[in-house]
Amino acid sequence: MTNVTAAIAQEEQILFEQTKRKQRYRQFIKGVLFLLPSIVLFSVFLFYPLLRTIYLSFFLTDASGATTVFVGWDNFVTLFQSTIFQQSVKSTFLFVLYTVPLTIIVSLFLAVIANEKLKGIGFFRTIFSSTMGISVAAASVFWLYLFHPTIGFLNIIMEVFGLEKIGWLTDPSWALIAVSATTIWMNIGFTFLILLGGLQSIDKYLYESADVDGAGYFYKLRRITIPMLSPTLFFVVTVTIINAFQTFGQVDILTQGGPQNATNLIVYSIYREAFTNYQFGSASAQAIILFIIILFMTIIQFKLGERKVHYQ
Amino acid sequence: MKRMLLLFVMFSLAILIAACGSSDAEGSGATETEDGKQIVTFWHAMGGAAQEALDEIVASYNASQDEVEVRAEFQGTYDEALTKFHSVAGTDSAPTMIQVFEIGTMSMVNSGHIEPIQKFIDEDGYDMGHLEENIVNYYKIDDQFYSMPFNSSTPVMFYNKDAFEAAGLDPENPPQTYEEVEAASQAIVESNPDIKGFALQAYGWLFEQLLASQGALLLNEDNGRSGTATEIGFTEEQGKSIFEWVERMNEAGTFANYGTNGDNMLAGFLAEDVAMFLQSSANSRDLIDNAPFEVGVAFLPHPENTDWEGVVIGGASLWMSAGKDEAEQKAAWDFMKYLQSPEIQAQWHTDTGYFAINPAAYEEDLAIEMHEEKPQLKVTVEQLQATTPSYATQGAVMDMIPEERKIIETALEAVFNGGDVDEAYRTAVEQLNTAIETANKARGE
Repeated sequence: MTNVTAAIAQEEQILFEQTKRKQRYRQFIKGVLFLLPSIVLFSVFLFYPLLRTIYLSFFLTDASGATTVFVGWDNFVTLFQSTIFQQSVKSTFLFVLYTVPLTIIVSLFLAVIANEKLKGIGFFRTIFSSTMGISVAAASVFWLYLFHPTIGFLNIIMEVFGLEKIGWLTDPSWALIAVSATTIWMNIGFTFLILLGGLQSIDKYLYESADVDGAGYFYKLRRITIPMLSPTLFFVVTVTIINAFQTFGQVDILTQGGPQNATNLIVYSIYREAFTNYQFGSASAQAIILFIIILFMTIIQFKLGERKVHYQ
Repeated sequence: MKRMLLLFVMFSLAILIAACGSSDAEGSGATETEDGKQIVTFWHAMGGAAQEALDEIVASYNASQDEVEVRAEFQGTYDEALTKFHSVAGTDSAPTMIQVFEIGTMSMVNSGHIEPIQKFIDEDGYDMGHLEENIVNYYKIDDQFYSMPFNSSTPVMFYNKDAFEAAGLDPENPPQTYEEVEAASQAIVESNPDIKGFALQAYGWLFEQLLASQGALLLNEDNGRSGTATEIGFTEEQGKSIFEWVERMNEAGTFANYGTNGDNMLAGFLAEDVAMFLQSSANSRDLIDNAPFEVGVAFLPHPENTDWEGVVIGGASLWMSAGKDEAEQKAAWDFMKYLQSPEIQAQWHTDTGYFAINPAAYEEDLAIEMHEEKPQLKVTVEQLQATTPSYATQGAVMDMIPEERKIIETALEAVFNGGDVDEAYRTAVEQLNTAIETANKARGE
């Protein structure tokens, strides 16, 4: 008797396991199906190009990008020895250093003042975020005229104040700063909007109870606003850094990588190597290096960020 | 549940098919118009005033007959147009014909996606002999014409005649050597401190031209025409002469630095910030019409201790895509011939400042009238005719020339900004030789 019940229980157990497995299997299929569209799109537009880039980086190519000679790690070795590429990496890091902190500080300042409930604040919010609606090309052309050596507005102002004219885009010590200024101006709109959104979603009770406790404006800013904004800030920092590494349009229109390669940022250098020099192999090698740099930067950020970011 | 899944799969598939399908639909664009005209797509790189002039010519061709319709499409700069062509070459999206600048010649020949126009010349019994001799020299490679010459220009020196007069210089007798340019710059700056004497755009093409004008070769193996070039062809003295010329003017404070930006330089010239500069003669008409002062055009200068040898033909030619229908290619060929005709060349020459590649154009009434009215347009023609045919003035052919230009531009910029000439020159030469080596290696030779 007991044997029978045990056998039945065992059978039930097996059946249960089977059903469970079957169900889990169906769940898995369902999950894959839901992921399918993005898997397909990612494969076509990301994974395949990535693999192809890795493949190309080991070859020399002809003008149409077809591989001709296998050279192994030669492309990478040449790159690390090339003064042009070293300059390009240096400029890129400098560019990140110039643009990221300033963009965030300026946008944060604008977001904090635009977060006040004042009459007509909507007008200022629109103005502050307006650069988001301007394309990179249009903004660059606009700045190109401001930077013009003789008829540009900036040099006219310099003259009015009796200062020496600056070759904004022709002097290697100024060009990167000029491109950075353009980039900061262009990025403010987007960063401002995200930060303002973050500020708006902070719970009003926190401020109310702080008020009751008699906290001052700056105390609230330091102890409530910034910590509560940290997830948004973290997002903005990550995105701005990645954008800075991938800057292309401004450089192409303002300086074409010149003067003396001072603004030849990595992405522009990749473009030039591939599409004016037709060295797709060496361009791919540069792209791989850029990929690794960004990957590491992002990992470091997440490691550091996790400790500092305060999620509600 | 199952139906949901099924729907989902169908949906994903639909997206996939749509994504893949759309490119097909685009590619197989009609090759005929609704009323049965053969369509010829023509990619070009003529912006601004030249684009207007070109559009006018295309419209006149379309109106002149009712079998072919040419559709001219602007594709950005020469570099950009060439890059686009290389990425679509051999597919249905490729244009019937494309305009490619002279230094793209080797990369087009090597691409394998073009139909040498020699084929049509032979079939048609067309005589290329009526074209300008120097052009025939440039575009004939191994006794074959790969492309049809179209717009050709030479570099000239533009100068501000009013500024010359104010400085007590003879506006009808422009400087011809580096040393004379320096002296004139000095005189102009002394008479008016608000205006600089001379500007040189950091542009590899101008460097090549300044080499040719003193009879120097850019690449060895006779500029790559007797064999594959293996290193640079100019001597240290020849190469440095240009760098040192700029350095001397820079130190004297008579040099205006516009970097690599040609448009800024044109604007600076028109705003009377600089009195002399070098640029393609293709800008002649635009400058003459828009300058608030009298514009002079002069030959390209050369160092005093060398003889003036001439200039290399700059500009572009027209290429035929391979793999198009015979009818489509024939139609494009007909349009190419139309562009060579004296009337059209006269119109093109006087509208832009490119010289007429068919010398018969200068006998046309339009050209004669314009030459009387604007004698500056004649300078480019005279300069070309005064050029001594040699390997130096035939110009270099190699596929790494775009890279060579970037390297030279960087070196020139270093000198413009007060950098050391020896160092800039040495780095440039090293990079040039490496680039030549890599290019040869990449071809698998």
